[in-house]
Amino acid sequence: MQALKIVITGSYAAGKTQLIRTISDIDTISTDYEVTLDEERQLKRETTVALDFGTIAINDQVTLYLFGTPGQERFDFMWEHLTVGCLGYVVMVDSTRPGHFAETQRLMSRFIEITDAPFIVAANKQDDEAALPVSYVRRRLGVPLEIPVLPCVATDRPSVKGVLLGLLKHIATQNQMNQEQSA
Amino acid sequence: MALEGTLQDMSLSDLFQVFRMGPKTGVLILVSTAERGVIYVADGKVVDAVLAGGPDRRVQATQEEAVIQMLLWDNASFVFRHDPSVMSRPPRITHDSEWLVMEGVRRRDDPARAMPYHSITLDTMLQLSSLPSSAESGVSLDVNQWRILSQISRNTDVRTICEATGLPPDQTIRTVAELLAIGLIEVVIPSALPPRPKTPPKSHHDHVVSVTPAAHLTPELAAAAVVGVGAGDERPQVGRGLLDAIMRRIRGL
Repeated sequence: MQALKIVITGSYAAGKTQLIRTISDIDTISTDYEVTLDEERQLKRETTVALDFGTIAINDQVTLYLFGTPGQERFDFMWEHLTVGCLGYVVMVDSTRPGHFAETQRLMSRFIEITDAPFIVAANKQDDEAALPVSYVRRRLGVPLEIPVLPCVATDRPSVKGVLLGLLKHIATQNQMNQEQSA
Repeated sequence: MALEGTLQDMSLSDLFQVFRMGPKTGVLILVSTAERGVIYVADGKVVDAVLAGGPDRRVQATQEEAVIQMLLWDNASFVFRHDPSVMSRPPRITHDSEWLVMEGVRRRDDPARAMPYHSITLDTMLQLSSLPSSAESGVSLDVNQWRILSQISRNTDVRTICEATGLPPDQTIRTVAELLAIGLIEVVIPSALPPRPKTPPKSHHDHVVSVTPAAHLTPELAAAAVVGVGAGDERPQVGRGLLDAIMRRIRGL
């Protein structure tokens, strides 16, 4: 049995847990605990301290694992462990909370230090009429055009499928570029 | 659900740009320490606004003046909620948001023009603005505005103007505020007072597009974009066939 891993990361309350729940074959194994800080409690009653974990069976031999990282920076020691051996990762950002963009930028920079795996950005809550447009999210986060920034609704299965397919296509493109460079 | 943040996360001019891009329709509520403002947005256009403050939440400004005063705020929390009913609200703001942003920049750079209505007292000193005569000729004023304007060259404080014109103080102050808003007069800042800190002049472009990709692009991010993934030893090398199989499976979910 071959196990492949995709990591879902993002700042606090960006929608990582929901995305995994929406697409996973199994009931997500979550290690949420009640939050301790008042400002966090305003956003979310429970928080992912260790990880969320979901699976998608590809065939008899291969299973794709989805791991959600804890959003708060105080748990960033976990990120390194989670990214070991991952195919790629999704950076989730809440399109209705510009106050979280700076934290998302710090998180992206940290992940780039930790792993060289390809990534895409998922602009969550795009079903909200008040959400910031994807192009604006890209510009505010300073994401280069080569990295996809995709609209996302973490509660909507087709939307989550679109995000995962976007990541896989990006991985394929990057692999091809690497092969061409080494050739 | 709503768009929420602070003006430090996202400036009001940035919000206006997002509303135009959408285009969005809804109500933007801004709350600062002492004041509360509401801006109505219909199909990306700012159509009305009101600014209230003080313990009794008295209305301090409406329409363009309310928006311009809110543009001068350095920090406030905001919530924007989608509300289709704003489409049926009669537009009371005639200038577009770009004009409002420019006017806000101008006020910020010129403290005399930034004097809010409620800050005008009977002791406020006034003077005629140094406008070219051609600018004045196009302005249409009512009788009381003319009466006060004609006094300003001779009597510089509001109290004396009240006495000379016989107008009640509240009406005089209101009319002075209108003349200030039009730009025909300006407040004399006493030289003994410390100068108000000025924000460096910004171009219109700076205000509307306040964040450029280059400003936030970390070297690592740029490198990741160009070089891609590299060949990390710990990352499994997955062939195109397996990636296609995963994509087929996900499409079929």
